[in-house]
Amino acid sequence: MKPTRLRATLTALALVPVLVWTLFPIYWITTASFKTELALYAKPPQWLFTPILDNYTRVLTNIPFFQYLKNSLVIAIGTTLGSLVLGTLAGYGFARFRFRASEAVRFLVLVTRMAPRMVLVVPYYLMMQRLGLLDTYTGLLVAYVSFALPFSIWLLVGFFVDVPLDVEEAAMIDGCSRLGVLIRIVIPIAAPGLVVAAIFAFLVSWNEFLFALILSGVEAKTLPVVIAGLNTDAGPLYGEMSAAAVMVMLPNIVMTLVLQRYLVKGLTLGAVKG
Amino acid sequence: MTAGRAGRWFLLPGLVFLFAIDLIPLAYSAWVSFYNWWLIRPRDVRFVGLANYTRFADDPEFTRAVVVTTLFTVGAVLVEFLAGLGLALLFVQPFKFLRPIRVLLLLPLFVVPVVGATMWRVIFHPELGVLNYYLGAVGLAPLPWLSDPRLALVSITLVDAWRTIPFMFLVMYAGLEVLPSELFEAAAVDGASAWQSFRHITVPLLTYIMLLAVLIRGMDAFREFDIIFVLTGGGPGTATQTMQMLNYRAFGLGHMGEANAIGIVTLVIVAVMCLVLMRAVLRPQGARG
Repeated sequence: MKPTRLRATLTALALVPVLVWTLFPIYWITTASFKTELALYAKPPQWLFTPILDNYTRVLTNIPFFQYLKNSLVIAIGTTLGSLVLGTLAGYGFARFRFRASEAVRFLVLVTRMAPRMVLVVPYYLMMQRLGLLDTYTGLLVAYVSFALPFSIWLLVGFFVDVPLDVEEAAMIDGCSRLGVLIRIVIPIAAPGLVVAAIFAFLVSWNEFLFALILSGVEAKTLPVVIAGLNTDAGPLYGEMSAAAVMVMLPNIVMTLVLQRYLVKGLTLGAVKG
Repeated sequence: MTAGRAGRWFLLPGLVFLFAIDLIPLAYSAWVSFYNWWLIRPRDVRFVGLANYTRFADDPEFTRAVVVTTLFTVGAVLVEFLAGLGLALLFVQPFKFLRPIRVLLLLPLFVVPVVGATMWRVIFHPELGVLNYYLGAVGLAPLPWLSDPRLALVSITLVDAWRTIPFMFLVMYAGLEVLPSELFEAAAVDGASAWQSFRHITVPLLTYIMLLAVLIRGMDAFREFDIIFVLTGGGPGTATQTMQMLNYRAFGLGHMGEANAIGIVTLVIVAVMCLVLMRAVLRPQGARG
């Protein structure tokens, strides 16, 4: 007999510190966003308190939060659409057509993701300056699509390969074009893959900081830059900063919890399938 | 699989876009790196050959940045690897509430990096932070988490670990799950201890995945920016000034030639790491493990 009871106890004992370490920062900033200033700086730290919404109302009125939210959303949705269209076409191309060096090209696609972004952002800044695209949605959008695309392609190849070939062939015999097959047959079957790719692309754009910091000034400023600004400007305004931070991470948390099964699959697909 | 010309019309838009957006800036960057080019003096751009590169040889700040980057990368990847492997081994044996707990453990990976770093900044605060309060409460001295040169590097490593242990965990868990269970059963029948079957079955079969995870994480840690920017900005002094932060500073000063030269050097280093990864991945199946 295996000592299962002992094992379960040991597992629980090991998991408690891991869970505290993982979740405490998220818990702490979330509760901080509902605390009064007095409660925020109280010693000993307050674990029980009456929640207030002042921090949220203040951050929404003191800074043009909705403008920044709009910037972040428009750029993230644009990134999602752009990388889905390009990624679907290229993913289908890799999944269904053999050509010389297709494996190597597919690997090169992944390699583009490896370039340090700091290396790209400096020349990119100089180029956008010449084109008059600094501090515009377009400047950030083009960069973010290129960040999201390699992963979208890899992910979608994996989903498209699993679509049964005979269904596609039958449609083509009935006079459907290649593009028609992709749109009417392959995309509906591989829809879960497109959802995962869409979420990843959205998060790439929503989370990105360096390019936004350097390329956006006022007009196209996105939320991560706002958070970093609240953090370093003239003393920590913990209440407002926490409220803003919670609002910015909310979509991430919701998406992770709702779609965790797909996200796990998506993240490990590339690594395990090799 | 079909061979056909139609394929190119599917592939071209994405590939042209991708390589254009990556390769044009890189080529431009290499070109700028040969010039003495200040942002505020656009009319006074002079070709200086390799001067921006040769300067690194006797620049203590650059050497320091290389050391800091190496310490951070090696430290972070080591901690994340061990923690991720440990967690993955823990999760291989099913237990109650495995699924919900696994989801909770993934959260840091998906939180906006700047927000994650902000959380820790609040926790690390020397006077107001919850960490130092409880250190004091159990009779220990408060620690200057982000203002002590040595400790600051440890602190940013910890925050990086907080964010990316879930990635290591996921990759190695996925690797462990597909290992054939018959091998472990046979080993158990032969009287192998848990350590022996780990050492002689798990490790050899998992080597490929472990290598992959370490290399991917290594390249990511090498170019980490967000967390360091929010937590220390490269300070105190130059204590956490990695090559990325040095690059950012050169850019901030408007010294485009130097900023691009640093960029090209980091690119070469990452490219070498990438080649190692490529060789490992493209190795034929039979040679694995």
